Amino acid sequence: MITLNNQIYIDRQKLLSRIGYGDDYEPSARIASLVDDYIENYHDLLSPAYSYTIRNIESVDGNRVTIGDSIVLESKVISRLLERCERVAVFALTIGNYLEDLVAYLAENGLILQATVLDAVGSGTVEKLAIQVEGKIRINAGIEGLITSRRFSPGYCDWEVSQQELVFRILDGDMAGIRLTESMLMIPRKSVSGIIGIGQPGNDIENYNPCSTCLKKDCPGRRR
Amino acid sequence: MSGDIIESIKENVIQGRVTRDDEGIDEGMVGQPGVTELIKEALASGVGVSDIINRGLTASMTVVGQKFENEEYYIPDMLASAEAVGAAMELLEPYMAQSGIKPKGKILIATVKGDLHDIGKNIVSILLRGTGYLVKDLGNDVETKDIVEAVREEKPDFLGLSALLTSTMVNMEATIKALAENGLRNKVKIIIGGAPVSEEYAESIGADGYGADGFHAISVIEALNSGDSVAS
Repeated sequence: MITLNNQIYIDRQKLLSRIGYGDDYEPSARIASLVDDYIENYHDLLSPAYSYTIRNIESVDGNRVTIGDSIVLESKVISRLLERCERVAVFALTIGNYLEDLVAYLAENGLILQATVLDAVGSGTVEKLAIQVEGKIRINAGIEGLITSRRFSPGYCDWEVSQQELVFRILDGDMAGIRLTESMLMIPRKSVSGIIGIGQPGNDIENYNPCSTCLKKDCPGRRR
Repeated sequence: MSGDIIESIKENVIQGRVTRDDEGIDEGMVGQPGVTELIKEALASGVGVSDIINRGLTASMTVVGQKFENEEYYIPDMLASAEAVGAAMELLEPYMAQSGIKPKGKILIATVKGDLHDIGKNIVSILLRGTGYLVKDLGNDVETKDIVEAVREEKPDFLGLSALLTSTMVNMEATIKALAENGLRNKVKIIIGGAPVSEEYAESIGADGYGADGFHAISVIEALNSGDSVAS
């Protein structure tokens, strides 16, 4: 596990969009003062950490990918990606539990607006952290002349959330301080786990996007 | 006098101001009394609790609901008002029993097993309190058997079930089945809500109603409470 300092910066406009405002909308004075106050002070609530490992892809058979000795990921979307790759980066990352403990405290005390804004700050921050970790994996692959795909998490498309357990098994105990609930959700909640495909240039790995051919146009996770 | 202060309470709920330190939806309101200060003042000067609730809080949330529907208010603006109503009810609830005010109904609310998301549920809870219902929040990731037990013990008029994930919304159906198996299904009206569920899903699992958002959930419950049929 690698811990990071808490200097992760989120974009104010994206935060406003996350809490329900349209693009380029300037919120009311009440909301703006609260948002600006949190943007100034949220760093003290972060304790970011991540871990990742790179494994060889042993085989892809239909919609089943075998990684390492015997771990089998089952998903059509993941199989179509990893059949173009040689290796896979498996990662888990979190901003820690302080922020969401405060969200829970605020919500329990009826401060639902504050809880919602701070929760959105947490979502924005963990997304930024995921982009940072993705960048580290891309740079390390680049050193070897390899390229990387977008990241995919259990729960995306046809990759069942229940497969989260396999992601953590591949990480072999180094879970960046994250634990799984019985229903395979991560605690702290503001965590991301998943995979990134790694392979030779020319296989269009970097542009692989199942959303472009997916018929579920109203999917909240749709990527361009 | 009581009319003035109730009008101020209403205006400050619409402005989403809990205390005098809060900004309003309109700028430059810091320093003026917020809902907390105004409620205390109203109680001290003998204004009736039911007047404060009906003409101050419920009336203001009707205005907020209209502004939300007209897209004049966004979700955070609505939450600011809900927060103000929640703070008001916190102060008013101890006086309700002694004033002989009965809640409109009793509601148990829970996020179903396996699901940790609770912001939507909390919003609905606050709005229901502000509309005059007694709400008991069972929390999130609640075991089906615990919901059944709570329905048996608390004898609520309504049960609200929330889920944010397609993998956990199935536990709503499991809860309804478990209530039926325990002979409790017909003793409580069940409303569901959350991103993956819909009117059709509610019907398919045998729920009595579906709330698309906080205000819609309130109107569905109000309709069921008055015996009306629920139209989406």
